[in-house]
Amino acid sequence: MSPEPAPPEPARYAIAGVEPSSVRRPATREEVAGILRDAARDGLTVVPWGGGVSLARGRAPRRYGLALDLTALDRVVEYSPEDMTVTAECGVTLGALREALAAHGQETALEGARAERATLGGLLAANASGPRRLRFGAPRDRILGAHFALADGTLARSGGRVVKNVAGYAIHRLLCGSRGGLGVLLEVSLKLAPAPARRVALLFGTGARALGDATRWAALPRLEPALLTIVGQGLAGTLPVASPTDPFTVIVGLEDDEPRVDQQISALERLLGEPDARLEDDSATALWQALADLEDRDGARLTFTSPANTPAALAPLIERPGVSAGALFHAAAGRLHIFPGATAARDLIEPLATGGFRLIEAVAGDGDPAGVASLGPLIAPQAAVLDLRARIRAALDPAGVMAYGPRWQRDDLPEGAPRACRT
Amino acid sequence: MDWTPDILAELRALLGDDGVLDSGAARFAYEADALTLERGLPDVVVLPRSTDEVAALVRWAHASGVPVTPRGAGTGLAGGATPHRGGMLLVTSRMDQVLALDPERMFAWVQPGLVNARLSELAAPHGLHFAPDPSSQPVSTIGGNVAANAGGPHCLKHGVTANHVLGLVVVLHDGSVVTLGGEAPDAPDAELASVLAGSEGTLGILCEICVRLVPRPEAVHTMSVDFARIEDACRAVSAVIAAGIVPAAMELMDRRTMELVEAWLHLGLPLDAAAALIVEVDGPAVSLPAQVERITAITREHGARSVRVASDAAERAALWRGRKSSFGAYGRTGLAFTQMDGTVPRSRLAEVVSAVYALAEARGLAAGTLMHAGDGNLHPHILFDPDDEEQHRAALEVSQEILRVCIRLGGTISGEHGIGLEKIPMMGEIYAPADLETMSRLRRAFDPGGLLNPGKILPGGPPPTHARAAAQPGNTDARNDPEGPWK
Repeated sequence: MSPEPAPPEPARYAIAGVEPSSVRRPATREEVAGILRDAARDGLTVVPWGGGVSLARGRAPRRYGLALDLTALDRVVEYSPEDMTVTAECGVTLGALREALAAHGQETALEGARAERATLGGLLAANASGPRRLRFGAPRDRILGAHFALADGTLARSGGRVVKNVAGYAIHRLLCGSRGGLGVLLEVSLKLAPAPARRVALLFGTGARALGDATRWAALPRLEPALLTIVGQGLAGTLPVASPTDPFTVIVGLEDDEPRVDQQISALERLLGEPDARLEDDSATALWQALADLEDRDGARLTFTSPANTPAALAPLIERPGVSAGALFHAAAGRLHIFPGATAARDLIEPLATGGFRLIEAVAGDGDPAGVASLGPLIAPQAAVLDLRARIRAALDPAGVMAYGPRWQRDDLPEGAPRACRT
Repeated sequence: MDWTPDILAELRALLGDDGVLDSGAARFAYEADALTLERGLPDVVVLPRSTDEVAALVRWAHASGVPVTPRGAGTGLAGGATPHRGGMLLVTSRMDQVLALDPERMFAWVQPGLVNARLSELAAPHGLHFAPDPSSQPVSTIGGNVAANAGGPHCLKHGVTANHVLGLVVVLHDGSVVTLGGEAPDAPDAELASVLAGSEGTLGILCEICVRLVPRPEAVHTMSVDFARIEDACRAVSAVIAAGIVPAAMELMDRRTMELVEAWLHLGLPLDAAAALIVEVDGPAVSLPAQVERITAITREHGARSVRVASDAAERAALWRGRKSSFGAYGRTGLAFTQMDGTVPRSRLAEVVSAVYALAEARGLAAGTLMHAGDGNLHPHILFDPDDEEQHRAALEVSQEILRVCIRLGGTISGEHGIGLEKIPMMGEIYAPADLETMSRLRRAFDPGGLLNPGKILPGGPPPTHARAAAQPGNTDARNDPEGPWK
């Protein structure tokens, strides 16, 4: 076996300023297993590392022994366009995967910031999303099976490569969103989709009053757009196109065959009037990626989920122009990101809760000017769920080798969070 | 467990007299689901109405060490609801209410005993429906659909049941109640809910289910395409997918299946064809004519003899009636049959279907098959005389061989019916020991006491009786076997 090249600098793997004590970059599954066994023996905690997109903005784990860089595991293992499925190693980047599929007129439903370096495993572990989550659902809705390593070096698998499969527990779905806290994703199979014949983005500059007008938007969800995203004015400058003057830009994305897209455009123009801008095909795709990239911004971020599926759900924010300027809402896909700057984050929770928004993630940013850290208890699961999570974690990683995964570790919960009822 | 009058009185105090069944006749009625090869009498049958009642029952069972097997309508085909270890059979048929239906935000909270088709009926006035449509949908329950991660003809385009579950209220092994996921797409703990889907009642008892409702398609076109060679039909299916078309459904019936359906329903099926495909496209009316045209061209290139588009709703309904009656048509034969639920990559369907006929013929048995061809999911049936032990054994062996072919071609042993009791002996062929041990670890995390639907899915418990019957005729007492990790 050829020796590993000199491992990269630990500084590249810093999480919230904390560096690992060592870095390994294995090239095979077996090497991953060996590294995990050694780490367990040596009492090192491990953080699986892909493109460094999501973790780099996370909260540092209590102990950060080893960064396990998986980017050398980057093969597309099997791609059969006639089955509309792909199997790939988890270190492949989203960009590389998209390129392989585009050659056959297909696409993956996965989206996320920094496609050029975000890895398949990282996207899944982070439960990453982009604007088209409305059309495709969550990553766990597209994953068919996985090979993974448990913390003790066990190599295991669940699911398979076929689109229908009810044989045993779907551990591959459990690992979507586990943030590397339960094991290491090595190779996954995904359900693909045909690339649509046409993609169009219609952009509507929108004032606060129009945004809050529920009747204006009521018919939108039934038009079945591929995406429906509302961007606050403060973020407009980061997009290829957005209204520089209106408080909000409403973006409606359409992806389908030509006659259907034409029909949807006519229907939208009847509802909302002429759009202020219109992007086609590659320009639309670039806008989708720019919207996904918005989630990877410096500073504090609050992420909420909601069943609300029209722009009017943002009405509670309209009275706070300073805050709404930093809002990014993927309506109907249920994701609202707010970049609050120095606004007291706590003050946003209650008005949003009345609109059905529930806080699911809070990133503090340097110095935590918004006071995000104090919101931890709001995100903590209910006690019985926490207890269940602790049992799952103990079952899959009894020695506590995996360092990360805030939703899985009761030790990582902030002060004041509810504790499990039993130990 | 000694079921004293005091214990039964306690349960009746909780559920009412009609919520607790312990007579021999009542217990006998619940000894099997639709896999009638496997049977086991429950000690008691309970019919709760609410999450609180389920929690109280599970708390009691947990404290008393009594196994709990959940059951919906009992249409499962793998023995998942068979109470083969006795104990308490928890039947959800009285938990059949829609708790909330939000037509604007397009979701519904339902109890698990609600019948699948009933939800779509209730959503129809709002222009919505519940997309998963297993053939059992007129009777099967949404709780059962989630537990089996049920499919159905239209999951080709619209996804399996797990893709339509937003949230669950679950009673865990000790009677604690948790909410996983919720009304929002991807609400917290939704990944835990997604593992409950397809877990066949072994990880928790589903008590409230939040499902996604989707707009009913504006238009539907249903095509009937027949072929002189079944392999051509399979290749046509793969070619349609490769062309970037995802129809709502692509269903295949072979000649034997059509003959059985025709003898029963007289629908005018093309009995001189080797196979008929039903291809349905749905969606915006403007999109469909082009899709029909392309599918017609592709299937003709692959040897279709005739392509007919149903001209009206009645003709469409007749096509589907034939397909959805296929299981029943086999049941009418008076012959017994085994029936499989294998899945292969759709590009390998032609190979597996050839193997089905060859394997059956080599043992002198008749085979017929229907398929959710667009998903690569096939249901071969091997017919045998139930009074002929030799034939019975041969049919079971052929069935296992067919599933092995599915595995070899990159597929799996169950696409939508689940493992239950029936397919446990095959789990070791599709998964390595480390895979199964990992699944066991997960199961123990959910159910440390091993009382939730024990003995299902994972090897380790007593083998199902029919598998052992094949090896050791006459031995049918499952309960006296040494206990595995799942008590």
